[in-house]
Amino acid sequence: MQYPLTFRLNGLPVETMAKATETLLDVLREKLGVVSPKRGCDTGECGTCTVILDGEPVRACLTIALTVEGKKVETLEGLTQDGKLHPLQQAFHEHYAAQCGFCTPGMVMSAKALLGKRPKPGREEIVEALSGNLCRCGCYNEIVEAVEAVALGRRKE
Amino acid sequence: MGEALYFAASTMNEAMKLLGQYGKKAVILAGGTDLVPRINTYGLKPDVLIYVGKLGLDYIKEEKGRMVIGAATPMARIAGSKLVVRKAAALAEAAGQAGTAAVRTTGTIGGNVANASPAADLATPLLVLDADLALVSQKKKRTVPLKDFFKGPGMTILQPGEMIKEISFPIPKGRTAYVKLGRRKALTLSVVNAAVRLEVNRKKCQEARIAVGSVAPTPLRCPKAEGMLKDQEVSKDLILQCASEAMAASSPIDDQRASAWYRKKAGTAVVARALAKAAGLETD
Repeated sequence: MQYPLTFRLNGLPVETMAKATETLLDVLREKLGVVSPKRGCDTGECGTCTVILDGEPVRACLTIALTVEGKKVETLEGLTQDGKLHPLQQAFHEHYAAQCGFCTPGMVMSAKALLGKRPKPGREEIVEALSGNLCRCGCYNEIVEAVEAVALGRRKE
Repeated sequence: MGEALYFAASTMNEAMKLLGQYGKKAVILAGGTDLVPRINTYGLKPDVLIYVGKLGLDYIKEEKGRMVIGAATPMARIAGSKLVVRKAAALAEAAGQAGTAAVRTTGTIGGNVANASPAADLATPLLVLDADLALVSQKKKRTVPLKDFFKGPGMTILQPGEMIKEISFPIPKGRTAYVKLGRRKALTLSVVNAAVRLEVNRKKCQEARIAVGSVAPTPLRCPKAEGMLKDQEVSKDLILQCASEAMAASSPIDDQRASAWYRKKAGTAVVARALAKAAGLETD
């Protein structure tokens, strides 16, 4: 049985259908073609599917799609405006904060959720906010530095 | 039944009616952080999902000397609540260490309790706070002490058609503490966790509560160890004896996170640290 589902995705209204047990990750990737949230573990352990729901970071793989009815979902796709990278994206690029890139969308969204609430977090807060996002290439230091650069407003030009 | 049905109840009455109608077939969905992995990966095929996130059960308030928390309150809100931090520090700390940021934003206190994991982060602090659960169904309401709620791993006294509405506890007079030992610092289940509440008056312990998690089929209260503290001065030596006694009551198992042997050894230190923290003593 499919149910109608409407919510705002990166500022735009979307209408789709979802089954009771389908997750937000299923709907984003399989139905809406929004593929920046990756399917890593599907159990909430890895963080690469992290998206922002009404301002809070959530695991898309743990979120039953129908529960986002009427809410606001932000994914990495919404960050780039008019072809210009978001400061976080630019900082990740400049700090070489990715090797394979699989964790990057989740890292950026976790960082964005943090900066949305705490515009100038300290290093410890950044580490804590990103501690649920795994990077198997081991770019943690560069990732934290990239977020720090944005937080301190000293992103390399 | 084929594919699952979904209902987003918008009032308590509607939720009660749906729960009554579907009984055993109904699975309650709050944050989903424990439920959804079972659907995605472990083959759970629910017949009916009843979403309880729109029932207004997201609140933390102080009422007649008690703290009252709605069952659908996310753990992040509990961890960040000034009221909880000030008056029930152990609960705030446990909520702040459960899962990870993106799990705490959705995972709820009611879900953490109802799932009845022996390692549940919020169970031990709620046990030492003498928490009560307000359970509701179409037919009746009842209040059950949390200590009588757990029956085994994933098993509780909840009847089909029944749900947790809110959790409450008397605002503690003394201090509470929570200590968690995991395999790593973030995003981990407890190898052992312990919560303590101590009420000390003129250096003598008036009331003590100790609970340990992840070392028995259910989160465990330790009445014998608690008794050792009654009317005593809380010293380092007494803390160590008391922690050993607490762990003597446990029955840990070997699993992928730790061996039973390690849990016994480490558990003693974890309980001792929690006791020292609540007593305001230095730990080694």
